[in-house]
Amino acid sequence: MRTLSKETILKLYKDMLLVRDFEQQLEQVHKRGLIPGLLHTGVGQEATFAALAYALEKTDCFFPDHRSHGICLLAGSPGEKLMAEILGKANGVCGGRGGSMHLADPSVGNFGGNVVEGSMMATVLGPALAWKMRGEKRVAAVIIGDGTVGRGEFNESLHLASIWKLPVFYCLVNNQYAISTHVTEAHPTANLSELVTGYRIATGQVDGNDIVAATQAALDAVDYIRSGKGAFFLEFHTYRWAGIFSGEIRDPEEVRMWKEDKDPIRRARTLILTEGMAQESELVETETSVKKQVSQWLEYAIQSPAPDAATALDYVYANMEVLGRWEEKQQFNR
Amino acid sequence: MGRKTTVQSLNEALHLVMEAHPEVYCLGEDIGKMGGDFSVTRGLYAKFGAERVRDTPLSESAIIGAAVGSAMVGMRPVAEIMIADFTSTCYDQIVNNAAKMYYMFNGQFKAPIVIRTATGGGFGGGPHHSQSVEGWFMNVPGLVIVAPSNPYDAKGLLISSILDDNPILFLEHKGLYALKGEVPDEFYTVPIGQAAVTRPGKDITVVTSMKMVHEALAAAETLAGEGIELEVIDLRTLRPWDQKTVLDSVRKTKRAIVAMEAPRTGGPASEVSAVISEMLFSTLVAPVQRIGALDAPIPMAPVLENAILPERRDIIKAAQELMAYR
Repeated sequence: MRTLSKETILKLYKDMLLVRDFEQQLEQVHKRGLIPGLLHTGVGQEATFAALAYALEKTDCFFPDHRSHGICLLAGSPGEKLMAEILGKANGVCGGRGGSMHLADPSVGNFGGNVVEGSMMATVLGPALAWKMRGEKRVAAVIIGDGTVGRGEFNESLHLASIWKLPVFYCLVNNQYAISTHVTEAHPTANLSELVTGYRIATGQVDGNDIVAATQAALDAVDYIRSGKGAFFLEFHTYRWAGIFSGEIRDPEEVRMWKEDKDPIRRARTLILTEGMAQESELVETETSVKKQVSQWLEYAIQSPAPDAATALDYVYANMEVLGRWEEKQQFNR
Repeated sequence: MGRKTTVQSLNEALHLVMEAHPEVYCLGEDIGKMGGDFSVTRGLYAKFGAERVRDTPLSESAIIGAAVGSAMVGMRPVAEIMIADFTSTCYDQIVNNAAKMYYMFNGQFKAPIVIRTATGGGFGGGPHHSQSVEGWFMNVPGLVIVAPSNPYDAKGLLISSILDDNPILFLEHKGLYALKGEVPDEFYTVPIGQAAVTRPGKDITVVTSMKMVHEALAAAETLAGEGIELEVIDLRTLRPWDQKTVLDSVRKTKRAIVAMEAPRTGGPASEVSAVISEMLFSTLVAPVQRIGALDAPIPMAPVLENAILPERRDIIKAAQELMAYR
């Protein structure tokens, strides 16, 4: 297991702050009606996202799920372009076509969200297979939630990744709730990685709210995969705060415990101060600068122009020849 | 050049494309050592090896998912779904993933995959091995549906499909696999999205595809004896289909039949018929006739199957009725 330097832990702390501010500022503008569609935030899961973004290289790829803005941001996409996308603007990372749930940016390895939850477990096999065939030592990651293990793709994907020994990094963010359904109500075990063992794929479990442990576990998993041993399935135990579209009624004591005692940011802050890695004043400075940074991104997104309706039929087909025969004609006919 | 079956011509296309393009690989059930349920991938395993000719378990969703994901990083996969009816098990990957990817990610990722699948009835395959699935896919933006009717087109269209940047559902009618025709040995392409006028005629346009092309040609032969000339159009690509060729023909004949093996309701015949009616209402001297399978699953017993599937007599009857309009 790798030891994390003081600088790394401070960077990860800042990363978590970025994610939290990013999400919470979005929640605010969603309440103001500035986001046209749905918004699923990952508040409470920041350590998991920061750990994954840290462990993956730029040449790797990841398929984010609907609650993974955090990893999309920390992978290196410009925050203002992500926010513009979530607000449905022309200069968003997908020109406003995808929105919050379909963020994609190949320049940072973000292979795009497909939010028929679990379907990406099939797609992630593809880059892994191609890279293996071409002898490229790259890792293909997929981020899934606890509800996803009920999908058929969960089994099909593990099945193929195992027999083909593919470099797939299964990142299970077990935040305990699939909308309203608690993990214990829907699955034979609350430790979902137990379901994987029959496929003879290496598994691990980690406290997804402990930034140091989560990062070390993610780094170990990536090392394992990159060494050519095949796939790795890592389960992060975490909790999403009752954010927008949480859709369920929670036990108030449960929520209090996770927000106060187990909050990954508070825990990291305490660690940093206890171990003397930084002064409180330095942390406050970081916290203030992150807030300002995120506010600037949001302002950029709000000020950005909406897409041009005339472009609504662009990109239906990948070559103009076909487009010319079909969609353009439809447009003309209207 | 030589007379080859559709299976041989498809097989030749795969050999040629895989030789020329290292990024092309095949995956599917029993396609490797065995060479595929219909022998279309025969000899590929021996020539290109298990890496590029991949046998898979019965995991259709993972087959298409892996194909799409590998296409995102520059591969050109040719996935075989053994029987078209089974595309229901990977429908999500095809319609939500492959077909939407280029659009929803604003052109940042392409999904140049080909999904080959054996379609159609007429051989006693029963309800899960005989269906025409075109209707399931006709209203999926971003998807291309290719459907050849003869060995020459099959080879040229398969090569075009593999080299095209769109996700393509490539329908191979089981009833045409053994059909023979002249097929050049070399590499050639047939353009996607272009119909072919298979038989010119002045009285009625018959728009059709795959096995029904041959039913239409047989009907045309019979009707020629009665002095009725059918113009038979083989769509070859069902989506996006060649509106220009079809509409130009109907402008001339003023009468149209759309004959497909798929069920009439919500199928390709309905779509083509609707466009002809919308665009040429004032030109038509008679309502456009749709011919398709009756709205039922495809039964096994030949008598029942024949009762459900359309054939040349349906075209002849429709043509005779159309000529009664003046």
